[in-house]
Amino acid sequence: MSAVAPAITDWRSRSAKQTRLAYGQALLELGAKEPRTVVVSADTQDLLGIRGYIERYPDRFVELGIAEQNAIGVASGLATTGLRPYVCAYAPFITARSMEQVRNDVAYANQRVVIGAAASGISLGVAGGTHHALEDLALMRSLPNMTVIVPADVDEAYKAALATLDIDGPVYLRLGGRTEEPPVTDPDAPFRLGRAVQLRPGRDVCVIACGALVEMAVRASDILKQEGIGARVLNMHTIKPFDREAVLSAAAETRGIVTAEEHHLVGGLGGAVAELLAVERPTRMRMVGMPDAFAMVGPTVPLRAKYGMSAEAIAQQCRALMAAA
Amino acid sequence: MQETKQALVKRLEGEARRIRRNVWRALRAGGGGHAGGSLSAADVLAALYFHRMRVRPGEPEWLERDRFVLSKGHANAALGAVLAQAGFVDDALLDRFYAMESPFGMHPDIKLPGVEMCTGALGHGLAIATGMALGARIGKQTFHTFVMLGDGELHEGSNWEAAMAAAHYRLSNLTAIVDHNKISQSGRVADIIGVDPLADKWRAFGWEVREIDGHQMHQVVDALDALPFHSGRPSALIAHTVKGKGVSFAEDTYLWHSNNVNDEVLARALAELGAP
Repeated sequence: MSAVAPAITDWRSRSAKQTRLAYGQALLELGAKEPRTVVVSADTQDLLGIRGYIERYPDRFVELGIAEQNAIGVASGLATTGLRPYVCAYAPFITARSMEQVRNDVAYANQRVVIGAAASGISLGVAGGTHHALEDLALMRSLPNMTVIVPADVDEAYKAALATLDIDGPVYLRLGGRTEEPPVTDPDAPFRLGRAVQLRPGRDVCVIACGALVEMAVRASDILKQEGIGARVLNMHTIKPFDREAVLSAAAETRGIVTAEEHHLVGGLGGAVAELLAVERPTRMRMVGMPDAFAMVGPTVPLRAKYGMSAEAIAQQCRALMAAA
Repeated sequence: MQETKQALVKRLEGEARRIRRNVWRALRAGGGGHAGGSLSAADVLAALYFHRMRVRPGEPEWLERDRFVLSKGHANAALGAVLAQAGFVDDALLDRFYAMESPFGMHPDIKLPGVEMCTGALGHGLAIATGMALGARIGKQTFHTFVMLGDGELHEGSNWEAAMAAAHYRLSNLTAIVDHNKISQSGRVADIIGVDPLADKWRAFGWEVREIDGHQMHQVVDALDALPFHSGRPSALIAHTVKGKGVSFAEDTYLWHSNNVNDEVLARALAELGAP
């Protein structure tokens, strides 16, 4: 184990604007801060940008090859010995293929395993439907004990990865692919697990967004402001545990809620908001996200727009909600 | 005074007989369950817990303890019996099999002291045990990890992912024991999906293999005493066993993979097994 903490130099420049690479950079700092850190790869060394970590901590790295079920099982076994495994994986494979291992070995057994899941949503748009993860939030959110985090940009991804040190249980950290995500969070603000962050004020409508859709929600709010509509924007970076108070306050203080996420409209952030409001405070809602279809092949940004995931689409849903209110 | 081999074998045979009696007792308490695979595993479990493994029943979280993962988790009645006999848990627990809010259900749960992992969904234990063995190496700990697999369980492909990884990392601190009773839930394994040649499969995956009669206690002891079988490979111990071993009506039939147990069945089983 390394006795001297390495200098964490300019991780932002190395992670471009991709959350998957910010995670890899954060692992370098985690490796220094927590000597029990062990990184588990499923032939994903470049996907998560962990070659720097491997070079610095070769004895705390386990490569398991293209075998996601085994990666989760091994990570669980590592965790029982007191180590803190950080799994590096593709979101579509580590959730759908390994779901039983995640449920039993990690969530049911409540082991401290962090799953860094890159290539979520349609972030690998050109790879096609086999490589999209549009149901991962529904799967992970349905598991007791699981913490589910969806960072909006590289700063948040880096801070969220560090925040996992204090989480006494399994974590699913949803990361993007090769698309650059514009910065949208306050780089100086601390990451507070389970607490939504208000990025725009507003009392007419509230957009609750996560991941790449947060930046679009902010742009939508700025568009709507020109039209005299005050659209509050909440960055719901933690899907579980869920910030019920922020949602209930938004429902009480605005005329309706629009959710926005890069995920199927079934079971994700929109589902979480709807489940809460249906019981606690029935509220007019609209949802932005992937309709009930497999996405076509295409570059991620236009592909998102094609399926209604854009600033303009969010603004339009806000206008529609206002018109009906 | 050092225990002679003969005395050791006799003592372990006694523990195994008690395990079998306790299995039937637990199954009766629960109304039934997985007799066949619990009874086939009893002799190996006795040798592990009462001879080979370094454990402290009064200190189940002792960091240097050897680990045991019952991947074929449906044999949990046998594991519960062992943990009670060894003193990890109170003997009265055996009468609370399947009981409301009991930590002793059909499959192992880490809520029970001495249980290392929640298992029972098949094809999970070998990966978990591989993680434990890797964890020992990374953490510079000397414990040995044992995992018991069913032969039908080896249909699950995830086993072979883990087998490949354990051999790649030359985990000589890992032993997989196959309880090769030749019968799964629906019939004979050879008729469902054959697993032969089983030893060759493990060898091909890079493991050092030994085969024993899993009911001949001196063979079980000799094999466990010889671990690791190779200094640079994980060890695979194929224990040829009989499903339902020890009770004539339950032996070598898929009908007793899982079945109901009433007072009459319990009495017949205990009569065949003899005094504890």
